[in-house]
Amino acid sequence: MLNKFDIQIREAQEHAVIETTGYLNDALGEQLSEKAQELIQGGCVQLVINLEKTTLINSIGISILIEIIESLEEREGTLNFCGLSPTQERTFRMMAIAKYAGIFPDEESAVANL
Amino acid sequence: MKDPSKPLGDSLGTHKTQNTAEQTMERLIFSLSELEHLGQTLISGHSNFNHSSKTYLRITLGTLQIRRGAILRYHSTGQNLDVVAATPEEVFSPISVEADELEALLKHSFIDNTDPPKSLKQFFARSAKLSEAIDIRLWVPLKIQDEFLGMIGLGKFLARDALEAWEKELLTTLTHQISIAIAYSQMVEGIQSEKFRLFMLAESAPQICQLLQPEDAAEQVVQQAVSLLDANAGALMLTHTEQQELEMRYAFPETLIENTASQDNGNGLVISYGEDTPVSEEPTSVDVLKSVVKEGIPGHCLPKSDTLFGGKNLMAVPIPGRDGDILGVLIVGDKEERGGRITPFTDEDVVLLDSFAKQAGVAIENAQLHQEALEARQLQAEMEEARKIQVNLIPETLPDIPGYEVAGHYEPRGPVGGDYYDCLPLSTGHWGLAIADVSGKGMQAALLMATLRAGLISELSRAESIEQETLNQSSLYTEIANMAMILNSLLYASGTEEKYATFFYSHLNPETDVLTTLNAGHNPPLLIKKDGTYKWLGEDVGGIPLGMFPNDMVSSIADYEAEHVQLASGDVVVYYTDGVTETVNVEDDYYEEERLVEASQACKDEPAEGIRKYLHNAVMEFQGEADQFDDLTLLILRKQ
Repeated sequence: MLNKFDIQIREAQEHAVIETTGYLNDALGEQLSEKAQELIQGGCVQLVINLEKTTLINSIGISILIEIIESLEEREGTLNFCGLSPTQERTFRMMAIAKYAGIFPDEESAVANL
Repeated sequence: MKDPSKPLGDSLGTHKTQNTAEQTMERLIFSLSELEHLGQTLISGHSNFNHSSKTYLRITLGTLQIRRGAILRYHSTGQNLDVVAATPEEVFSPISVEADELEALLKHSFIDNTDPPKSLKQFFARSAKLSEAIDIRLWVPLKIQDEFLGMIGLGKFLARDALEAWEKELLTTLTHQISIAIAYSQMVEGIQSEKFRLFMLAESAPQICQLLQPEDAAEQVVQQAVSLLDANAGALMLTHTEQQELEMRYAFPETLIENTASQDNGNGLVISYGEDTPVSEEPTSVDVLKSVVKEGIPGHCLPKSDTLFGGKNLMAVPIPGRDGDILGVLIVGDKEERGGRITPFTDEDVVLLDSFAKQAGVAIENAQLHQEALEARQLQAEMEEARKIQVNLIPETLPDIPGYEVAGHYEPRGPVGGDYYDCLPLSTGHWGLAIADVSGKGMQAALLMATLRAGLISELSRAESIEQETLNQSSLYTEIANMAMILNSLLYASGTEEKYATFFYSHLNPETDVLTTLNAGHNPPLLIKKDGTYKWLGEDVGGIPLGMFPNDMVSSIADYEAEHVQLASGDVVVYYTDGVTETVNVEDDYYEEERLVEASQACKDEPAEGIRKYLHNAVMEFQGEADQFDDLTLLILRKQ
């Protein structure tokens, strides 16, 4: 899974789900950022990022996620995460990401709580 | 307060008519208010400069009534300037900055793009594409004291050729704010990155130590190291101390190995680090890894010297074991920065990876110990099964042979061996006595022994029919030798070169008291005559053990040959395995054949069962408290 590298977007009427596959480093992070910014600029400010297929994140990936949160805050949008491993969830809480974004066990609950 | 920057931007065409003192004041107040807001955001640690740079540029351009501009951020590791915000928005390549250019940039507060200082002509030539796209007229270096942080480039000034003095003062204030923002952002990014790294270090250590499978531990160690160091590749190689080799156990990503010249080795890529391995003058990545494992200190390798992973910037640290030995090498490759640039690993990175490698060592050893314990349990279970098989192959009771007494003894001592004895009745009224010792231990030895026994029984039943027709001694010799060849062929096909059996077969005719024997590499049995004299049976006409070589080789080395002895009343034949003569005492002396002769002579007049007990006791007495590792087997045949 980590050797693959992909981003899938599932857009609905009021929200969009971005699902990443692979190591969330600069390369995948930039792709994620670009897709998120496209959605935000297009007026979709209710986002879910599904990290189920991303088991590894580095500090650059974290900083990119923080930037997406900031962009959404500016537009009074909402970001929920789902599919986090226990370590990722602890990391997100420690890095204060969880203060500005919701964390949910699965995509369904993450979407329901937007 | 309304946002004056947008109306200003929108109405710049009517600048002259609206540029009143009141508007200027309003502009200034708005700009200062925006700057304060941005400053607070930065101080909260919840923002980074790249994100807010567009706002800084918008405020600067709006306040100074300039349509176009760009903010460039300097990256000291890459020694280049990166365009982080530009109006109009466009993507520009980073612009490299030489060391002397850096000094020159620090000396200036404003630089006219049309008339740059001589020392910066090359730099401005490299930035021409950006200058043309933005139509830059004025450059302002961003700095705090002697630290160069970036540049702001300003385009054409609206309705004027140059900035007024008060506007330059305002620009100085704005660029100072932007410089502070960059410096603060760098600090916050650094703190966040360190916080992340320390958390990951603390978080990953207990996690990897809980992994019980060596493969899982290797995978997690590499992945956590890659994440911890912001690298994009990593590998774990473990040492084989005896062979002085490093073997690849896990590489991330998988293509890391596929891209190497040694791809045919896959994940089993092996590097020999022995003393005899020559080290090239310009150390390659392979040389660096050898050095890391031999010296026990971290090493670096530049992409041009990386022959192992296809040109990566590598850092490798030794993985220490509990006993201070080096378990292996942990490698990370290509540390990345935001924007995808590859940056050298720092001294702090070495310390971090070194700390992680210590935890990795504990994790790897834990997993290895668990694996060993698991294997030991499996081996134990296999041994128990093998023991059951072996015990079932040894006769519980021995038959009564007219005119003879027979007694047997089998005693397991240590791991399951392959001792075997039997006393098989033939339809002719003759008897087949066999004793064997299969090499190796465990299930394989037990199965080989079972094969030998099955083959023996099968061959004896075939031989019986022939024997009935040809009872002369010569035919019997041939028949027994043929049987040995068949058993040899059977065992050779069943095992490996290391798996073979020493075997001694005796054919007893109780009517004539002729004992015809064949030795296939077994300890020669001892014949004690009634008068106390003795003889080793099969000592001179011994063949090689069964199953060691194919039949055609056996013929060229030493054919199996039979011989016979005439037994008389009171004669005793002591069959035994090497567990008897190689029994050791606490002084590390072997029991040896001489003691067996002496003990046998001492008890030769006892019944077979008494001889068995006496010999067993003699061996036990000799052994004392010393540990034994081979089974003890005795088979006694006594002519009444």
